[in-house]
Amino acid sequence: MTGPVAGERVLVAMSGGVDSSVAAALLVGAGCDVVGVTMKLHQDGADVPDRPCCSLDATSDARRVCDTLGIPHYVTNLVDHFTDDVLRDFVSEYARGRTPIPCVRCNTFTKFRDLLHKADAIDARWLATGHYARMGMRNGQPVMRRGLDPAKDQSYFLWGIDRTVLDRLVLPIGSQTKVETREIAKRFGLRTANKVESQDICFVPDGDHVRVLREHLGDDAPSLSPGPFRLTTGEVVGEHDGFARFTVGQRKGLPGGFADAMFVVEILPDERAVVIGPRDALLGRGVVAHDVSWLVDAPRVGDTVHVQVRSRAKAAAATIIRLDDTVIELAFHEPVSAISPGQSLVIYDGDVVLGGGVIKSSRRELLIVGSM
Amino acid sequence: MYLDHASTTPVRAEVLAAMEPFFGPRFGNPSSVHRWGREARVSLDEARERLAVCLGAHPDEVCFTSGGTEGDNFAILGAYRTQKSGGRTAAVTTPIEHKAVLAAVHQVAAEGGEARLVRVDANGCLDRADFTRCIDTHVAVASVMWVNNEIGVMQDVPSLAAEAKANGVVFHTDAVQAFGKTAINAATMPFDLLTLSGHKIGAPKGIGALFIRRNTPLEPMFHGGSQDRGRRPGTENVAFAVGLATAAELVLAEHAVEDRRLRVMRETFEARLHARITDLVIHGEQAARAPHITNLSIPGTDSESMLMALDLRGIACSAGSACQSGSVSASHVLTAMGVPPSLANAALRISFGCLNDDAGIERAIDVLCTLAAKARGPQPAFA
Repeated sequence: MTGPVAGERVLVAMSGGVDSSVAAALLVGAGCDVVGVTMKLHQDGADVPDRPCCSLDATSDARRVCDTLGIPHYVTNLVDHFTDDVLRDFVSEYARGRTPIPCVRCNTFTKFRDLLHKADAIDARWLATGHYARMGMRNGQPVMRRGLDPAKDQSYFLWGIDRTVLDRLVLPIGSQTKVETREIAKRFGLRTANKVESQDICFVPDGDHVRVLREHLGDDAPSLSPGPFRLTTGEVVGEHDGFARFTVGQRKGLPGGFADAMFVVEILPDERAVVIGPRDALLGRGVVAHDVSWLVDAPRVGDTVHVQVRSRAKAAAATIIRLDDTVIELAFHEPVSAISPGQSLVIYDGDVVLGGGVIKSSRRELLIVGSM
Repeated sequence: MYLDHASTTPVRAEVLAAMEPFFGPRFGNPSSVHRWGREARVSLDEARERLAVCLGAHPDEVCFTSGGTEGDNFAILGAYRTQKSGGRTAAVTTPIEHKAVLAAVHQVAAEGGEARLVRVDANGCLDRADFTRCIDTHVAVASVMWVNNEIGVMQDVPSLAAEAKANGVVFHTDAVQAFGKTAINAATMPFDLLTLSGHKIGAPKGIGALFIRRNTPLEPMFHGGSQDRGRRPGTENVAFAVGLATAAELVLAEHAVEDRRLRVMRETFEARLHARITDLVIHGEQAARAPHITNLSIPGTDSESMLMALDLRGIACSAGSACQSGSVSASHVLTAMGVPPSLANAALRISFGCLNDDAGIERAIDVLCTLAAKARGPQPAFA
């Protein structure tokens, strides 16, 4: 089992929430030389009171927790990097009719790359976070496993980090439940013990992502302008007020009057169209993902793996039918519902995260390719 | 090791001792008619007189404030608001002022006035011809910082004040970093308003003073009782006023010795660092500077990482302007001087003072050189 030993310096990314507070506390308890660092990522709503993270209050909470633990605390300004790597992508993905996960890119580029540079600067051998995932060894190599508590597992958001980072990564709370985490926080006397959990994207504190898009794209952006609701047959059945308000699998805000419950099954940005259909139309037999990245040696075409197409979806068995440096295509053993372009496709072997990619499209029908 | 005296200084033991009775038996309100009140009033008046002596001022020209920010706001907004109806609606300042001055001047603009910024050169010296261009009969107040808090560069305040006065312009100077570092005499120098802060000179945070020359038009910021001639209503902080006067006297008494000591310390520090880091940049190096501040950039480093690494090795200093949440962003002072972003983002402000000696400085130089070499060398391979 890899991990820091007493006396080694660990940089802990501290959001001001209970999870990272406890991560720091456990490492202090283990005798590590812990340094808390809070990332300042954006200018939005820094002064919104009670916001769970990235606000002045959250930064103060992190500082107070570090004070309680008797460790130093710093704030690092990563606003420019975060804007370039995460915020811009978030906006452009929605503008292209996709549903991005900014947390994945933040982990890949900000937390586990830019912040790692800060760790280098302060001679910290290790970087720790309060994610619910676990580090372990397999065949002599460090691997990342799912968090032990399936209700809290956050490994889905971590597939994109650079493989070389695994050797320096510490995830102290991945074997706990949230209840256990809060109990540890209480035991250490941390002020964040009963803090409400952040559910929203940190730069969308009110959950209104359209407001953020409007700020960046303008009111008259195509993705925020009216367009048709269509059936899969092409028939127009209504008008929506901007396809960026929709995501594949969404049920809310669709026209009524159909025998079956209707869902968004596809977004066609060039035509500003939102295609809707019954539950069956959501089923995909395959998936294509790009920006593929591996945390282990890449598997091979023909291998069977388990994949997850959204954060809380069940892992589904699938066979790899195409694979190159950046693109992967898989065939599901059973159809999978609501495959949404822009979300992550995360590939597991049991509880080990193998890697992942960004979903490009689903395949309704499977092509027969030579290698199968 | 504390190398951040321009941020704040510890309260001096003598100051603490002088203040102590006012947290105990001499707790009276200076406005009360009884014995307790009288005692407090006498101490407050004494403190005012003592501070006035330190400034070459009349006692009635000393107004105690909560600190530098209040003094700057009071001076600029007070002078503007009093004179705007008379057609003097502009405020002149420089882009390298403390945020307290810049934000007060922005407020003048927000209230319908005009903000005029005088150019500075690459060394942080004010462009005199541009100052002259900015001063005319529409200007209510001009404000120029005596010693810059980030780079230590000094402006020729007496001469600028004279020029402003000749044009009927009220002249203010933020002397928060200048007091005790350069001679200040209101009897011979024509500034109208001068801001002081206690915690930069060994008095507590939360006390300062504004020198207000007699007959200077100045609308109060606060409205209330008649304390301080109605200029600054509110029950006076007697203890802190006594502390400020005591600290000011001590600083002036030690000025000659301390000035020499700090100058030698800084010169040694800069010379050693230049010798070991050949591409070192010291901002404002060619300008006249107060003795206690050096602002340097080591190319290829970043201030934020350096500050963390220095702190973890027990060395405290500053970068550019610290923002509210404690993270670091490029300094507006260096930006105004035309320092490129890559160098501005590497800037460290080191400010010497009472807590430093020669041995400590040697250690600071070693640590800085070690960190610089590490930051600029190949990244560590942890394995």
